[in-house]
Amino acid sequence: MRSTTILMAAALAGPALAGPPVQEHSYAPADIQAGQVLYQGNCAGCHGQAGDAVEGADLGTGRFRRGGADEDLIRIIRGGLPGTSMPPHEFLSVGDARTIVAFLRSLPAGGMAVDEAEVRIGDAARGRAVFEGRGECTACHGIDGQGAMLAPDLGRAGIELGPATIERAILDPSAEVRAGNRFYQVVLAGGETVTGRLLNQDTHSIQMMSDGRLVAFLKADLRGSGFVPSPMPSYRDELSGDEVADLVAYLLTLGSEDAP
Amino acid sequence: MNRNGIAIVLTAGIAALACVVPASAQITAERLLEAADEPENWLTYSGGYDSLRHTTLSGITPENVADLRLEWVYQVRSRAGAAEKFEATPLVVDGVMYTVTPPNDVVALDALTGRVFWIYSHTPSQDARVCCGRVNRGVAIHGQTLFMGTIDARLLAIDARTGRLKWDVQVGDPRLGYALTVAPLVVKDRVVVGPAGGEYGIRGFIVAYDVETGEEAWRFNTVPGPGEPGNETWGGDESWRTGGGSIWVTGSYDPDLDLMYWGVGNPGPDWNGDSRPGDNLYTDSVVALDPDDGSLQWHYQFTPHDEMDYDAVQIPVLADMNWRGEDRRLMLWANRNGLLYVLDRATGEFLHGSPFVEVNWMDGFDENGRPNQVLAPSEGGTLIMPNNQGATNWYSPSYSPETGLFYIPSWVDTFSVYTKRPVEYVEGQQFVGAFPTMAMPALGTRPTNVRLPEEGYGAIQAVDPETGAIEWMFPMTDVTDSGVLSTATNLVFAGGREGYFYGLDARDGTMLWRQSLGGQIAAGPMSYAVNGRQYVAIAAGAGLFVFALPE
Repeated sequence: MRSTTILMAAALAGPALAGPPVQEHSYAPADIQAGQVLYQGNCAGCHGQAGDAVEGADLGTGRFRRGGADEDLIRIIRGGLPGTSMPPHEFLSVGDARTIVAFLRSLPAGGMAVDEAEVRIGDAARGRAVFEGRGECTACHGIDGQGAMLAPDLGRAGIELGPATIERAILDPSAEVRAGNRFYQVVLAGGETVTGRLLNQDTHSIQMMSDGRLVAFLKADLRGSGFVPSPMPSYRDELSGDEVADLVAYLLTLGSEDAP
Repeated sequence: MNRNGIAIVLTAGIAALACVVPASAQITAERLLEAADEPENWLTYSGGYDSLRHTTLSGITPENVADLRLEWVYQVRSRAGAAEKFEATPLVVDGVMYTVTPPNDVVALDALTGRVFWIYSHTPSQDARVCCGRVNRGVAIHGQTLFMGTIDARLLAIDARTGRLKWDVQVGDPRLGYALTVAPLVVKDRVVVGPAGGEYGIRGFIVAYDVETGEEAWRFNTVPGPGEPGNETWGGDESWRTGGGSIWVTGSYDPDLDLMYWGVGNPGPDWNGDSRPGDNLYTDSVVALDPDDGSLQWHYQFTPHDEMDYDAVQIPVLADMNWRGEDRRLMLWANRNGLLYVLDRATGEFLHGSPFVEVNWMDGFDENGRPNQVLAPSEGGTLIMPNNQGATNWYSPSYSPETGLFYIPSWVDTFSVYTKRPVEYVEGQQFVGAFPTMAMPALGTRPTNVRLPEEGYGAIQAVDPETGAIEWMFPMTDVTDSGVLSTATNLVFAGGREGYFYGLDARDGTMLWRQSLGGQIAAGPMSYAVNGRQYVAIAAGAGLFVFALPE
């Protein structure tokens, strides 16, 4: 599996991406535990319990766009990221921030998760051809706001998702649908249906993105509403193993500067 | 409820829902031009290129406004934002509301319920410095793209559907005081902004970017450099380099004349003009620009060589009216300096000027509309009316074609003592002089108010532009930073620092409805409709409040 790891590192190289996570050393369980407490108190409010609540900043993947080294992460935690919603947390000491990093590194995918190394990564240029051709992926997925908006935009797939996540989404798309990508359907009083991504809901109303449009409904006006399975088909029998590997390679380039 | 009852409710639901999914979500240049044809939407900061801040929606009337009730509230989510003034006027596009909470969070809301579709949060750089609050007045839209200026002087293009960033450009250097608080203006395929920062010795400009790419198309220097006309009005030792001339509020556009109008802020330093002898063009002026290349077509300067901080930070109001027997394209302008102006907006010709509050710094105009200034700051101190915050400021006025009246948020009977002190320019620091005295806080509120009426108060004033006569006044004990919305049904909505939001009779100023919102109103009201039902929205304190009649 050594060669695969090297291939993956190559696919991830580029100025927009710092490469695979840089874990300088192992962490003491006490640090991880202390970091978890600080994470719950200071981070989970926005990033969520699993670290995946902020779009584009899934802390659980162990892949960090703005430098993956511990010192980079400590600096970001304490100084914030101007131009994003990440505020500074100067009240956390460097030592405190280091324990939070220790906790993040302890998350299942925070290091180099074993299954990531099992994923076969092919040729990104061929993968692009599959994406735009035989795979018909562009019928539903757009990139950076261009193209279809039925399914989630993949413009940052290479930053936000790991190879295993991408491969699983291609082969077994309903296995795990991220909370922000859940499909929802409302049935209007006349029986027509509107389907799309659920963006928000409350006791009385529903907010959705349906085919590139923001739409809202009052539940009192509806005959029914509810989640529906992902309309994404499995490509297990549609694409060859090589094609899937190529597609994974291509998607890993999205968001980095070496897209073919 | 029996079965029949339910069936009836469901049928009613179909008709309503048919409108929920609109035919087109693209805001084309044509739709912006014809915004008056879709009063259910509010597509630009001032509700239309003519900036009348006037709605033709007719659901809410003087007869039923007393029944107006709170429909929903959106609270500012960040702690830092909640501590700032909430100055934005929302846009509404086909049932989706877009606004900005301080400092720079764009939020897409369901206009029916106030629930969030998405939030785009921009944390400004620590380099940002602003004289008057970490505020933002709203977004502009073109196609499927929203535009927001940030207090660290960036212009961001954001996908209106997803809240994703499309491009961003650095408009100026925030370390030198350049900041964007203005709601951008889209004309044709350009998005136009200009920087705040006149209190930091910036050199102002108006700049246009391609809506698709963010590429700069043209730039007009509000403080002309060597070789540019107007530079000769900046005497002294390169005083133009730190001449101010901020852009605080959104311009207007006349598509028939193909002219864009912007008000320009004060010269720097604010309160001592000795280092900048001359008129200091184009500060305290309105400039008429060709939107295709930014070239200056005409200008009018309200306050030459200003030392009283009398920015022309007002919305150019483009009214077509009968002027002394002739139909003319006019521009109405109630200025911070206490004077109401009527200009011909094709030529810039000065047609009328008269005070709308007590004014003592000038005593008349020459035939070209140049004021005859009789008072200025002095080393011993000079008492000048109106005060430094002005007779009005950035708060949007409104013009109603129905009543023919111009509604001005006013600070009445105010004065400041201006004292001239030496000023030195230091990069990134305030470049102003001695702050003038004022009876009331320039910004924000205090929880109590024990001032005397003769120390100044706030009012909504209705002025007949043709005569300058004040037709009616609705006085408030505290001053007001609220904009005004007028309606075709003869209502005026406005508020003030006390946190009251009012529905007034546009014809005589009678108070028909009031609601306490518990926080200062420092934003302009607007109106929209969803499924045929009219709403009125206003930001106050740290909340956005939306009202409608009971269903």
